[in-house]
Amino acid sequence: MSNPDEQTVGANPTIRLIGLGETGVKLVETLAMIAPEGVEADSMDTDNRSLSRCHQSRTFLLGQAIPCGLGTGGDSALARAAVESDNDELTEIVRGTDLVFVVAGMGGGTGTGAAPFLANLAKEAGALVVGVAATPFECEGIQRCNQATGGLRDLKQVADVVFHFPNQDVILMEGPDIALHQALEIANRHLCEAVLGVSRMLLEPGMLNVSFADLQASVRDRHSLGSVVHVEASGEDRADDAVRKLLAHPAARGGETLKEASSLLVHLSGGDVTMAEMNAVTSAISNRSSSAKLVVGVSGQGREAALQLTVVIAHAGKLAGADQGSDQPKPNPTGQASDLGYSDSFIVPDTGSYLDLGKETDGKNRGGFAYTPPAPTADALTPECREDLIRVAAKEEPNRTKRRKIVQELLPLEIVSKGRFEKSEPTIHKGEDLDQPTYIRRGAVLN
Amino acid sequence: MSDSQIIVGLEIGTSKVCVAVGEVSENQVVNIIGIGQAKSRGVRKGEIIDVTLAEEDVRNAIVEAEQVADVEVRSVFLGVTGSHVRGFNNTGVHPVVSADREITGADIQDVIKNAKAINLPTDHSVVHVIRQHFRVDGQDGVLNPEGMLGAKVEVDVHVVSGRYNRLQNPIRLVNGLHLEVDNISSSALASSLAILGTEQKELGTLVIDLGAGVTEYAVYSAGVIKHTGVLAVGGDHVSNDLAYGLKVPLARAEQIKIDHGSAVIDPEARDRKIDLSDDSLIPGRQINLGHMQKIMSMRLQETLELIAKDIGQAGLIEYLRAGVVLCGGGARIPHITRLARDVFKLPVAIGRASTVSGVKNALDEPEFATPVGLIKFGAFQSQATPRRGGIGRVIRRQVAALFGR
Repeated sequence: MSNPDEQTVGANPTIRLIGLGETGVKLVETLAMIAPEGVEADSMDTDNRSLSRCHQSRTFLLGQAIPCGLGTGGDSALARAAVESDNDELTEIVRGTDLVFVVAGMGGGTGTGAAPFLANLAKEAGALVVGVAATPFECEGIQRCNQATGGLRDLKQVADVVFHFPNQDVILMEGPDIALHQALEIANRHLCEAVLGVSRMLLEPGMLNVSFADLQASVRDRHSLGSVVHVEASGEDRADDAVRKLLAHPAARGGETLKEASSLLVHLSGGDVTMAEMNAVTSAISNRSSSAKLVVGVSGQGREAALQLTVVIAHAGKLAGADQGSDQPKPNPTGQASDLGYSDSFIVPDTGSYLDLGKETDGKNRGGFAYTPPAPTADALTPECREDLIRVAAKEEPNRTKRRKIVQELLPLEIVSKGRFEKSEPTIHKGEDLDQPTYIRRGAVLN
Repeated sequence: MSDSQIIVGLEIGTSKVCVAVGEVSENQVVNIIGIGQAKSRGVRKGEIIDVTLAEEDVRNAIVEAEQVADVEVRSVFLGVTGSHVRGFNNTGVHPVVSADREITGADIQDVIKNAKAINLPTDHSVVHVIRQHFRVDGQDGVLNPEGMLGAKVEVDVHVVSGRYNRLQNPIRLVNGLHLEVDNISSSALASSLAILGTEQKELGTLVIDLGAGVTEYAVYSAGVIKHTGVLAVGGDHVSNDLAYGLKVPLARAEQIKIDHGSAVIDPEARDRKIDLSDDSLIPGRQINLGHMQKIMSMRLQETLELIAKDIGQAGLIEYLRAGVVLCGGGARIPHITRLARDVFKLPVAIGRASTVSGVKNALDEPEFATPVGLIKFGAFQSQATPRRGGIGRVIRRQVAALFGR
């Protein structure tokens, strides 16, 4: 385990993209072609076939001994066993990196099983870990969706932040008549834009810089779902256009996510960004999220006519270990990185059989892996069970990070009630209903 | 009596209807001779929601004021407020066309007329157009350009406007009581007239009227109004928050607010309990004083912060050299000055109607600032020469037009 302080001596942070599974490999392969200088790409899969198609990135076959390069066939436990057997090599790969993007498609075997493990390795090596995950279309079957939800949850618990793009959103955006290959292309493009936008934000020299430290401050140890919105606009009023596109983006949910964000990193790239444009963008964003911490960066002097706007939306989340009375030792020098904040129900203390494969620790870290219960088979899926699963899936919405949101969901009647102002014209100020008690809107706890 | 004039100010507030009767002597000294008030039941957030109740309350208040002052009230100056009332600045420009380039009275009339030509939404009408400063050929800070030489004369004005129908509601109500409305004034302006002296206006002051239904504010700098605003949040919101947070009836919350309220959280009160056993349905019910103060303080702080933000955006916070003056019922909340001092980082005082003389009771209470200010507003109006009468003439014309007078 290396000290993260020693790594950040260079001018630019070292960024590594790691693609896992078929989707991840495809994405990383695309990204490797267009990524800015200084971004290293690795493709990893348990399937030799998908790796053989890689030309731009360094490839690594997971689990030479177990699936023998034949893929996992959707078995995430097998994938995890494979990735754990390559523990040492993988640690070597992620060592000395500042920022690791773990790119994976959730729902299959390798992506779902290996991504959380790899994220944890990178985290222990001191890197800031950003998960980039795609989840399948709903029509791909409930089992796959459930596996994806589980994988996403596991990834979120180890990675500092996970940028999640549900393929289902494409249908929301483009309508159900879109061709499948187009839908996948759009989904992939969103994920690529997320990675590229963040890389560019960190690497491109600019007049105002969003530094690696800014990213670190807003996402480290949050273990939340975040989003990256990347839009491009050109022409006369490109700033306004970019803001419009930003709000129309499904990840922004019409500005809802901006409102819930705890910090926002805004990066403008393009030729001759004027003060007015910068002001238009930042004021549009800050008007929608008065409480979020805003960091603005501008780069690309006189280069392109198009204005590229990247917004990283990070949610407060819970700091790992902050509210989990953890009795586990913390082997990481950064303190909280390996304390995963699992609730007890996810930890299986005595069934560490494959979890500890190839892992030469003293067993103290054993609690650090999630036990994902095997997805129920189709005929075992009773209506009650189905409802449970749907409920679990519903909980995975990004806005769950806001504590008071949950309160609202639980007590809708109380929140709707505005006492004596029930019938009067509401006093709305910047989207806030001032008739509701301040302490509730601010989330103050009376105890 | 023959030399003096009776002016009546009426404020139909959210918590009370208040009538102040003033005697203005020939040399413009205002003397308050009577106050009448009644609990208001038909008003929410500064606007009438129940005409019948409001009418009854206004009648009661007027009758009381008539008895105390021993005069018959025929016409009133009416304070208007509500979330629809807004203030903004505008500029009028007029080229001087006469051969000798001397600015005449007609030029001044014209430039003010130009400043009034504002693009308002169709359902809005102007309440005030208040002159700030003239500029002659770019020379700033001219108070009266008549007789000066120049090619171009400009005037900055502060315009207060509101929705026509909602402004008419209280006017109609008063007319229904067979009283005339001499003029209407925004309550923020009236309050500031009552409590600010010339020096405070010159130095720059923020007046905040913390009412029950609405919070109004006005910024004076260099002797003129620079900014006004209305926030439809007030003492009722504090009571409502308390009722909700402490789970007590609204009336009880109101009483708790008056008895134990504080604008800042007292660390000693954190674990103190208040007994509600006297009239609560549940005997032995206790509430935590710390919670109560937290709920209250958060609401008040938010309200003040919203005002601070608005004034900060208008770029006026640096000009408030005489600090902040609070009035209205909310100014009675213990430690409200401390909270406001923390929010604005400026000296804060409670406003007193120091610029008038009369019934002692009326002048010591910050909540009478608006009706007393309305009397001052009325006094200014009636002393105004025909030229100065331009302020608010638009509305008077509207009132007259509506009722065929």
